[in-house]
Amino acid sequence: MGLDYDISTNEQNFVLEALKQDVRLDGRKLNEMREVNIKILPSEYGHVEVSLGRTRVGCKVSSEIVKPYEDRPFEGIFMINSEISPMCSPFFEVGAGGSGYGVGSNSSQANEEVLISRMIEKAVRRSNALDVESLCIVAGKKCWAIRADLQFLNYDGNFVDASCIAVMSALLHFRKPDIEVAGEDVVVYDTNQREPVPLSILHIPISITFNYFNPNGSEENIKGDLNNELILVDADLLEERLSLGSMTITLNKNQEICQMMKSGGLNIDASLIMNCCSYASKLVDELTEKIHNVLKQDAAVRTNKTEEKELRVFNER
Amino acid sequence: MDIITITQPRQAHTAMNASVSDDDDVEMGDMQENMDINMNIDIDGSRAKAEKDIVVPGEMITDDPSWMRGHGTYFLSEKTYSAKAGTILRVNKLLSVIPFKGRYSPETGDHVVGRIVEVSNKRWKVNIGAEHDAILMLGAVNLPGGVLRRKSEADELQMRAILKEGDLLNAEVQSLFQDGSASLHTRSLKYGKLRNGVFVLVPSNLIIRAKNHAHDLPGGVSIILGVNGYCWIYKTKLNQHTSTGVEQSKLEAAIKSSVGGYKPGAGTVSITSLEEQSSWDIYSDKNDAISNSIKETISRYKNCLLALSHCNISINETRLAKAYEISLGYGDVNSLVNYDTQQYIGDDLINSEKMRGSE
Amino acid sequence: MSRFELYSPEGIRIDGRRWNELRQFHCQTNTHPNASDGSSYVRQGNSEVICLVKGPMDTTYGSSSTKQLPDSPVLSISINHPAFATMERKKRPRNDKRLTELSIILKRCFLKTIVLHNFARSLIEVTVTVLSFDGGLLATCCNAITLALIDAGISLYDYVSAVTVGLYDQTALLDLNSLEEIDLSFITIGVVGDSDKLNLILCEDRLPLDKLERLISLGIEGCHRLKGLMNDTVRQVGADLLSKKQ
Repeated sequence: MGLDYDISTNEQNFVLEALKQDVRLDGRKLNEMREVNIKILPSEYGHVEVSLGRTRVGCKVSSEIVKPYEDRPFEGIFMINSEISPMCSPFFEVGAGGSGYGVGSNSSQANEEVLISRMIEKAVRRSNALDVESLCIVAGKKCWAIRADLQFLNYDGNFVDASCIAVMSALLHFRKPDIEVAGEDVVVYDTNQREPVPLSILHIPISITFNYFNPNGSEENIKGDLNNELILVDADLLEERLSLGSMTITLNKNQEICQMMKSGGLNIDASLIMNCCSYASKLVDELTEKIHNVLKQDAAVRTNKTEEKELRVFNER
Repeated sequence: MDIITITQPRQAHTAMNASVSDDDDVEMGDMQENMDINMNIDIDGSRAKAEKDIVVPGEMITDDPSWMRGHGTYFLSEKTYSAKAGTILRVNKLLSVIPFKGRYSPETGDHVVGRIVEVSNKRWKVNIGAEHDAILMLGAVNLPGGVLRRKSEADELQMRAILKEGDLLNAEVQSLFQDGSASLHTRSLKYGKLRNGVFVLVPSNLIIRAKNHAHDLPGGVSIILGVNGYCWIYKTKLNQHTSTGVEQSKLEAAIKSSVGGYKPGAGTVSITSLEEQSSWDIYSDKNDAISNSIKETISRYKNCLLALSHCNISINETRLAKAYEISLGYGDVNSLVNYDTQQYIGDDLINSEKMRGSE
Repeated sequence: MSRFELYSPEGIRIDGRRWNELRQFHCQTNTHPNASDGSSYVRQGNSEVICLVKGPMDTTYGSSSTKQLPDSPVLSISINHPAFATMERKKRPRNDKRLTELSIILKRCFLKTIVLHNFARSLIEVTVTVLSFDGGLLATCCNAITLALIDAGISLYDYVSAVTVGLYDQTALLDLNSLEEIDLSFITIGVVGDSDKLNLILCEDRLPLDKLERLISLGIEGCHRLKGLMNDTVRQVGADLLSKKQ
């Protein structure tokens, strides 16, 4: 990533000096997130667009009935598709990381993409946010396959956090058609016939990414005991490019870590990391609250329509 | 926090210790002693490490800020740390760490053996086993037809006729660039393309730096012990400066030029013998006829060299000759590739040196 | 949860260790002197890994996959995890995302540990091969790479040692084997030198936040021990080399 995004030394120093004085270019505090905006598209269930400052991610959840995996007959299938297209930023190339391996598979932008998709995967799928057992219809024969397609619309840093919020709110919002099972036969009811049912979500993992900056040399970082590395929350593109390391923690409201990754970069004292964790848990609570609020508002809008429908059904009968 | 107990096998270490027994400095000693002269530094609080102490990455060497920090170290405020696993070297006020192992780092004046990897604009790139490829400028080689001749456009176009990819040559490091890569030259009759022998690679830190790295060994064989660990064992050149040889080469060059079209400088009337020598035949790809016995001797030397490298014994020409002598007692050349035999040769060599030392 | 008793009431783990015991640790350096500039072999319990380092060398010498990079990296790490290394011989996809992820993590980790300004314009190529896998893949690879880099004479700021720590109910368990890894939540942490500074953390399972501190502190302790053991080996090998050198 960022192959053609060079930052001049002056710009670099400017940002760093500003950060040392606790100022970020967009006026935020170091530990302040950009404004999170969750927009639920009114057309259908499970289509959400999340923006984090200028970073924008869309997520569309869809479902179909398929045969379960041979080795997991009692579980449904849940997939997250997170291929980054060049639409969001020219730094990403088509098929660099995901399926279309081969060409530049070792290049840094492909690396970035692999990391992002792995992190979302671990945060949401591996942590069992979606109860896949509830997706089973007929053991070994039929199950629901839930697919979350992420669309990265604009890149201004911190894809992981934005996509995590997007996937989770889309899953929470999604309704799958109601079904009825009689022996081996399955009847799928149209959404007009029966009210579709929500997915069973066990917990809501939210990722928080911290970026590190080093006000001193790397010798100080390794041997010194100042421990005054600058820690930023929710870096934008420029900050992300300049930072010397990042850590992503995924937490849920129950104070559980779902995923945590600090891949190299600056060496950070354990106590600072613990501070980050507790701060992250605070942010996660706020964000979870926010997601719930948005969903509630949306639900309020939608219930009116359903009432109308119900009334009509009553009249016809 | 409770103590963590760990069981670790120790047998490997005891085996190592057995072979270590005692260390005596034979060759390296005097070189190091010269540097030991100014060694009485103020050791405040036993913080400073002594000369030749083993240090590992991240280990503090000294907290005395008066030292200058050399290679293999880094520092934070007043403390100097090691960045490599190696031994400490102090030269006056300069502290550096000499790693146990590592790539060869060229120094001006080193006699090296290298391999051409690329022919590019007016220069060759030469692999000398260092971090970066060395550069051999077209102007830094003896051009065919004599040293006095200026290099011409035709030479630039015919660089592959002089040296091409894969060719081995020996050269001297002329100068170093900013990033530590070397620039070579072969402007002497002892340097140039290598023929009539075999290439042997040994770790560069085993080669003892000496005044002369090209030697004639007993048995009609010569060796170039490149400082970079690249060695060349070849049949000793005979009658090098006799008139017949010159005549021969001139004849050859003439034939060559008639066959291979125009070659700058070839066939011109030569003035000095040096000029004769730097004619096209020094860049010939053809080996001389080598008798089987010489070939066998060359392989024996090669295996002796490998034996020394296997035993981690520093190499100079006297040791190699001695190892050759010892190896004669261990049967055929092909039996020397055996690691056990190599170990015996190494042990015998060390023992014989000890005996000599004690007499 | 499992048919094994992972941690008995008496405080004994499945392989007979206590909660705070590392598995047997054995390491060697300079195992492949002819094939590489630096090499190492690390065994943690039944996990075995060899690591080869080539370089620093001109970027043109890289294997075909690394040399065409536009931004010419200074460090390339690739992990080989052959089918014979695990119990079930599952065929892995050629481009396993998990291994790619691990190699990226390790690469970022060592980019900050190598004294990079010494290696302008050059490439360091690291290849790790897993001979036998029994838990702690990332940790063992990390330790092996540290040793191989030191063996290659590459400037490092300090050792990076890594270990896994798992959580069984309320107890933190050090250095898990694969049986424990399957059933327990665990984190991998990497520590620089003897400090409390963490270079890498990787947690892939759900874990209560309030237990994290416990795990990290046990992990740091374990890393320091491993560093000590690696240090001993490096010194031992160094002393051995010196004594022979004369």
